[in-house]
Amino acid sequence: MNWIQVLLITAVVTLLVYLLRSRTNAKAKAWVKLGYVLFVIAAVYAILRPDDTTVVANWLGVDRGTDLLFYALVIAFVFTTLSTYLRFKELELRYARLARAVALDGARTPKD
Amino acid sequence: MDIDTSSVWIIVPAFNEAQVIGDVIADLRSVFAHVVCVDDGSHDDTADVALRAGAHVVSHPVNLGQGAAIQTGVEYARRQPGAAVFATFDADGQHRLKDVVSMMERLSRGDVDIVIGTRFTGSTISQTPPLKRLILRAAASLTPSSRRLGLTDAHNGLRVFGRPVADQLNLTMSGMSHASEFIALIDENHWRVAEEPVEILYTDYSLSKGQPLLNGVNIVFDGFLRGRMRR
Repeated sequence: MNWIQVLLITAVVTLLVYLLRSRTNAKAKAWVKLGYVLFVIAAVYAILRPDDTTVVANWLGVDRGTDLLFYALVIAFVFTTLSTYLRFKELELRYARLARAVALDGARTPKD
Repeated sequence: MDIDTSSVWIIVPAFNEAQVIGDVIADLRSVFAHVVCVDDGSHDDTADVALRAGAHVVSHPVNLGQGAAIQTGVEYARRQPGAAVFATFDADGQHRLKDVVSMMERLSRGDVDIVIGTRFTGSTISQTPPLKRLILRAAASLTPSSRRLGLTDAHNGLRVFGRPVADQLNLTMSGMSHASEFIALIDENHWRVAEEPVEILYTDYSLSKGQPLLNGVNIVFDGFLRGRMRR
């Protein structure tokens, strides 16, 4: 086994433990956790037998497994960016409502 | 005019407008008793100047954007006893008082819920700079809701509306995208809308405070995302 394989496997497993230990918002997170377990299994397999990704890539009409992983990474990145953007917008709205409540509480009326 | 001005609330969103806000509010107050200035986290003394000029002042603790300021102003005004007619009016002095009055007369005919100012119809074609004019016209004809409603100027800061609109209004785009959101809300809530020709006074001051045209890109993008957000 290569050193890089040891490092990568340690990294994904550590992340898995970390994710499984956090238990906020049970139901929504449960699916994320299941998805991540599947991801870890696939990742460990791909790390141990990197050439097999090329086989999968060939099924899909891609030359190298590396390219396939790269495409998947780009898609995942765009998805993450957009969902982060939307979450930020949502937070901004809540923050605006909070600031509005504060502003309305402190309204000043002119003395006529 | 056959409108009871004591039931009218003018909403003036302001961000760092201490130079001009006093005059704008004094001018409004010569006709309308109730003016609420929403100070959007200004760094200058906009709030104090507005208060001295006789406006009610609601101050955002932080800068949120014009859309949020309008929403705050409407929420403040609609809880005031007797409030029945509402108007949004930009703080930089680019609107004319007599346009608000004629828009209120239009609203008082009772066949519409909201009246929006437009620079592009009527006899007085205002002196909008050519490029700005082109882009604003394009924005109006590219926005589906705006086109459906037959509106020619979606980004006019002058709006007059009655109780139903004020009660239902829920602007979620804090920044400059609120103008197109306003139009989208008109469309979604089936508010009856009319346009009234108004003049915009492009002074050096209001031009310097105006939004850069490039901001149109953000506005279009926000429009696409709006439907994808929970509210």
